[in-house]
Amino acid sequence: MTIAPVAQELSSSDLVLRPLVSGMLLDVLRAPIALFGITNALGSPLNVVVPQQIVKNASGYRAVFAKHHLTGEIFFAHKANRSTALIRELAGSGIGVDVASLGELQHALAAGFTGGRIMATGPKDTDFLWLAARVGALVNADSREELAALAALVRRHRLPVVPVMIRLCAFDSPGVTVLSRPSRFGVHAREMTAVLELLDKNRDVLDLQGVAYHIDTNGLAEKALALEGCLHAMREAVGRGFRPTAIDIGGGFGVNYLQDRGEWERYTSELSNAVLGTRPPITWQNYGYGLRAEAGTLRGGLGVYPSHRPVAGARYLDELLTGDAPSLRRPLATLLLENLYDLHIEPGRSLVDQCGLTLARVEEVRTTHAGHTLVRLAANSRDISIEDHAVLMDPVLLPVRPSAAAPTGVFLSGNLCLEDDLITRRRVLLPQEPAQGDLLAFVNTAGYFMDFAADHALMQPIARKIAVFGGDGTWDWCLDDQYWPVKGGTT
Amino acid sequence: MRYESILDVIGDTPLVRISPNVHGLNNIDLYAKLEMLNPFGSVKDRPAWNMTRAALPDAVARSDTIVELSSGNTAKALAVIAAMNGLPFKSVTNRMKVPEIKDLLLLLGAQIEELPGQTECLDPTDTEDPLTRMYRMLSEEGNGYLHTDQYFNPRNLDAHRTGTAREIIKDLDGRGPDVFIACVGTAGSSMGVATVLRDHNPDVSVVGLVAHKSDFIPGIRNIDEVHEVGLFDPANYDTIESVTAQEAIDGMLTLNRRCGMLGGPTGGAAYFGAVRHLRSIDDALTERATAVFIVCDRVESYMSYVRQRRPELMKQPPRANSVEALTDSEVAGARSVDVAEAQRWIEQDTRMVVDLRGPFAYSALHIEHSVNIVDELFDELLHGGLPFGASKPVLLVCPVGEKSARYAALLSKMGHRDARSLRGGVVAWRDAGAPLVRD
Repeated sequence: MTIAPVAQELSSSDLVLRPLVSGMLLDVLRAPIALFGITNALGSPLNVVVPQQIVKNASGYRAVFAKHHLTGEIFFAHKANRSTALIRELAGSGIGVDVASLGELQHALAAGFTGGRIMATGPKDTDFLWLAARVGALVNADSREELAALAALVRRHRLPVVPVMIRLCAFDSPGVTVLSRPSRFGVHAREMTAVLELLDKNRDVLDLQGVAYHIDTNGLAEKALALEGCLHAMREAVGRGFRPTAIDIGGGFGVNYLQDRGEWERYTSELSNAVLGTRPPITWQNYGYGLRAEAGTLRGGLGVYPSHRPVAGARYLDELLTGDAPSLRRPLATLLLENLYDLHIEPGRSLVDQCGLTLARVEEVRTTHAGHTLVRLAANSRDISIEDHAVLMDPVLLPVRPSAAAPTGVFLSGNLCLEDDLITRRRVLLPQEPAQGDLLAFVNTAGYFMDFAADHALMQPIARKIAVFGGDGTWDWCLDDQYWPVKGGTT
Repeated sequence: MRYESILDVIGDTPLVRISPNVHGLNNIDLYAKLEMLNPFGSVKDRPAWNMTRAALPDAVARSDTIVELSSGNTAKALAVIAAMNGLPFKSVTNRMKVPEIKDLLLLLGAQIEELPGQTECLDPTDTEDPLTRMYRMLSEEGNGYLHTDQYFNPRNLDAHRTGTAREIIKDLDGRGPDVFIACVGTAGSSMGVATVLRDHNPDVSVVGLVAHKSDFIPGIRNIDEVHEVGLFDPANYDTIESVTAQEAIDGMLTLNRRCGMLGGPTGGAAYFGAVRHLRSIDDALTERATAVFIVCDRVESYMSYVRQRRPELMKQPPRANSVEALTDSEVAGARSVDVAEAQRWIEQDTRMVVDLRGPFAYSALHIEHSVNIVDELFDELLHGGLPFGASKPVLLVCPVGEKSARYAALLSKMGHRDARSLRGGVVAWRDAGAPLVRD
């Protein structure tokens, strides 16, 4: 699993956070010469996506469905990545797509998706609603107002009956109060009656398929409560004469980014110590990621993503389904199955796990007055937004001239004329000091990190994107929008 | 002994010697301070009472709610004290990890609030973690809360300075131990006792025990978490050592089985950490030494904790008529019928259809005239024997026909002559368009 042989020379006590890399990303990193050539041609930064991997990831979720005898659909949350290649590959598989804007919907349709495999979520304007209704997409509504607007739109434009779901966002908990962050999307479970009344008046234009939730948390207890709340909401709908068939539990299943738990634990411990001042800083200006010291005591909370996370993705879904419902006291999977409900999921980040990396060229290496090594990249913190998402993971150095020199701790800065344009606030230990022209590969960036926040600030270029495909250790590439599933040939 | 109030029973716990046959140390007398014998069951009775007693009259006058960030023994003791004084008690916690304590708190009338988990879409610049927000709410003047603030309240330490520590010194004939070993939770007991022991005998060696970083031991913080404790001062400990959950359970079993002390995993961690540390110094000793550790609470609340980590300890003898004991060929031999055949079969009299799904699902939709016996209950009934006549024709139904086949096989094995399973279950029934009803 280790990529560059030099990385192994780091001692086990060094503060490193080696990324997990697998599949074709490993093959790509093993060919630095080709990568130098491509970045010379297409510029830095450069995004690389692996469309074939997304289908493999989906089969992990399918296996969990099969284990629990559940039926239902997987919808890829498009917002995690804008890649055309990924969407076209999905269109060629049995997986659906969850679109949250008119642009994403058009993108999915152009990639070959039919309306029935598209779910429309998020805040929706009239144009978005019209096109979604026109192509027969499943509309996951956010509010009663949205359903009313949709019903009026369907009547006005004589559109076919629209399949809809209603998103719930807050639930009452038995016994123990389970607190969740308030969400600006969805309705409270107690508002279900009012929603059903509205749907009842619009049976000729809206067809209730089921209920949904998406709760922004990694806490299983909150999600179990929400899923049970959905079961009760379905029951209420059935009682009102509707025939709902599916519960959509959204995404948020998470990704494990790191190889080694020990490295993660050591790093986070040392970060606490650095903030407390009992060891030299390991971040820019002793940045604490939410931690701060007050009178020798650590205050605040470590606001980082649990980058080493053994229970993530399909395994997280499995744990959720295996667990008991808080008041019905049967496993959630059993409850879904015996009530004959389909289960829909909308993974984003975890479905594009190991599906991409971002390359950036080293522009300058300098030593600051304080003695720090500052490495400036031809990319900025919006091109590589790992730090914005609080994921702590080291990049992989692809040196033009590999040497046996000692590992060096460096700070990575970006190409914006802004003080806070740091690719990461951590000091990163690289196997050798980088030189101008070297490449840094930020792996596993396909989920939210490569193009979610990228913009043209300072008229800097936005990364081009290529798709790589192949098999058996060999790979070929094309521009992202030149990729069609016939190239991969395996699906 | 006669007392006016149960609160007067708090403290004055026994110090009991651990037999050398158990710990195997040659030159050290090891004593357990049995804090589990406090009236509400743990060492936390002391600080809970000490942190509330002075503030109680005012709190009662204002009808304040007592609130604490605790998911364990402190919450338990505070819940009792609050209830005795007619005040509400609210326990705010990241996650209740010990279900027995959770149920006990609810039984005592406590309100439990679980803080939300970490967000998936993190913003590292957001320092408004739920805990900080909670603290701010609690620290506002006149907010209707009595916040005992165990991780920062000096009265937590004082409870042990004036109580626990003095009792230990008195029981060791006024000289105090040479080594003191304590688990670090709020750091109240370890810091409070250690400071007094050190005043008394500057040569005392203090060992603080923390949980292994990725492990959970109730009532003990891990090496990172101790830094978040306001009362914690590393300078007060000669060494800090870590204990794993498995080691804590090992220690607990020794206390429970060999010493007759029914302490929980925290006490087990203290015993394990104590013996491990003392063994390393035992041989070099030239004269006898004395060591003390704290058994903080009782084992009974931790059955599910132990079951999860050591299922073999709870192993029951195999029960009669169990589906787990069926062989594959027995299951494969179960009679099953498809939907069409089942529909014809049901038409006749004396037929019984048993739906093994949960009542929530059954009440929504089921096959007409079927009887709902949920699988767990059916399983329990079969352990005792056939719940209906051996010749009563019966069709078992479950979601996909898997469980029903197993139970049909078990019924046949138990001597039932006319049991069958619906192939493909209710799912196949629905897919075939066969009627499902709701009453």
